Amino acid sequence: MELTGLNADQAPPISAPLRFFLTAPLFAIFAGFLIFISDASVLTSRFSPESIAIAHAVTIGFLGFVMLGAMTQMLPVLAGVKIYKVKFISSFSYTLLVVGLIFMLFGLYFSKQTFNALAVISLSIGFLTLLIPMLIALTKVDNFSPTVKAITVSIIFAVLAVLMGASLLSSYATGSFGEYHNLVANIHSVWAVFGFAGILIIGVAFQVLPMFYVAPRFKKFCKRRVVILISMGLILWALLNIFAPEFSFIAKIWVGLFFWAFATTVWIKLNNRRRPITDVTVWYWRTSTVFMTIGLFSWVANSFLDDKHIVAVSIIIGAGFILSIMTGMLYKIVPFLVWFHLNAKGYASIPTMNEMINKKSAKLQYVSFLLSLIGFVLSYFKPMFLEYSALLFVLSMTILEYNVINPVLIYIRTIKTKPDFDMSAFENMEIK
Amino acid sequence: MAEIFTRFYKMSTIREYLTNDHRRCDELFASMEDAANTSLGDAKQKTQEFIDASEHHFQMEERVMFEEFEQKTGMTEGPTAMMRHEHSQMRTLMQQLMEALESDNKDKFFGTSETLMILMQQHNMKEEQMLYTMAQQHLSEESDRIVDMMDSMIVE
Repeated sequence: MELTGLNADQAPPISAPLRFFLTAPLFAIFAGFLIFISDASVLTSRFSPESIAIAHAVTIGFLGFVMLGAMTQMLPVLAGVKIYKVKFISSFSYTLLVVGLIFMLFGLYFSKQTFNALAVISLSIGFLTLLIPMLIALTKVDNFSPTVKAITVSIIFAVLAVLMGASLLSSYATGSFGEYHNLVANIHSVWAVFGFAGILIIGVAFQVLPMFYVAPRFKKFCKRRVVILISMGLILWALLNIFAPEFSFIAKIWVGLFFWAFATTVWIKLNNRRRPITDVTVWYWRTSTVFMTIGLFSWVANSFLDDKHIVAVSIIIGAGFILSIMTGMLYKIVPFLVWFHLNAKGYASIPTMNEMINKKSAKLQYVSFLLSLIGFVLSYFKPMFLEYSALLFVLSMTILEYNVINPVLIYIRTIKTKPDFDMSAFENMEIK
Repeated sequence: MAEIFTRFYKMSTIREYLTNDHRRCDELFASMEDAANTSLGDAKQKTQEFIDASEHHFQMEERVMFEEFEQKTGMTEGPTAMMRHEHSQMRTLMQQLMEALESDNKDKFFGTSETLMILMQQHNMKEEQMLYTMAQQHLSEESDRIVDMMDSMIVE
């Protein structure tokens, strides 16, 4: 067993996760602008290239970036494994993902086939150069905790979603759409949302809720079985979609029930948490569970309405459930990383977590995000709200960017000064 | 067989024993914050209880388990050195908690407790996932004796 995660100097350099975290809100801002300039009638169709571009500005640009950044940080700590050449791999993958995503957004939005072709190549390589070494690192884990299992399953779904996504985007690059395009698109999106993001969130919640909020621990059954049961449901859902679409609602109910149970459990655990603090991260967890519940019910109900309202359902699940939690996580993880790395470098008088993020601006960010979210759902039915909601969303993501940049500026300012302690003795410590 | 069975239930392993002690410290931490949330003035006792429990835990590791681990494996500059280093970081933060109480500064108190909480949890995670597992593997023969020693240790 390698104990790489035990040493701050062998943990990934702070730049590896931070570059993903600081870029995420920028893509969300960009998505907000695209919504603002788009026609509401175009966005109500799930398969319009504009909708797909905006969806991916958020799902890859925000959610994907936050998840990848978090995993580079979490794998050494949670699983005790080191990602091969993490510094190089994460910056290489990051560059390709940024470039690839920009190509994809412009390619889809302005129908440029060459851009789409370049996007297929750079996004696929970008994702896989980070996901595959993570999977390889995970094969070396000795102590497979439920969280590490969930992360592994989540990465497998991510790889599959990326491969399907690459084939889908190739269709836009070549202009020829196969017979199964929409079927693959369905499986791609459901596996990415519930398999990659959803399972990762569940796995991390097992660890994070009891630890950071001193909430009661999850039951053994939940920790041992839920991820496998959800995965089975997702595979069943894909099979039913291929062979017997009229029965696919059964698998939806299956998957939905477990996520709903998870949402309810999180809510109850937050009620019973021992730490009295209510900060913006707690609001985000709660918001997320509410939208998760509404989203799951509407996702299942939508089956009986010929899947007419899938765009509204996607907003509720994608933004309400997943984006909320990811934002909440950023508020904890960014200031901590700054504190942790400064401390490891020997600085003693570092601003505390609460001094790094201004509570008022975090609150403002939360409220504007929540309003924009409600606005987006309303504008699906009443398009007049769309522009205002888009502007509110841009505002909330701009404040978020400000809030996460602030601790990083503190970091940059501090490392220009001399450390309080000389930590060079720890720098070359080899742990094998 | 029966003997192994009773022994198994009588003594907890090093890993179980120290992991349970982490949870006890978490509980005390929560009680401390709970008290401080109502009034900083009344939180002194709870804060001291938390600090004492943590110090007890650190010393059980530093003076008993780490020593045994280092002797057995010969790794003195390895994981245990890093864990000792993190203990000292947490001791500094606990000192700052007391200072915040003395100066009646609620923002400073909760800012520090938040930082301490995350550092402590990240530290516990590494110990529970890796170090304790390793210790249990290397010290399984002496597990009962070590747990006994930790159990009867008096804080210096």
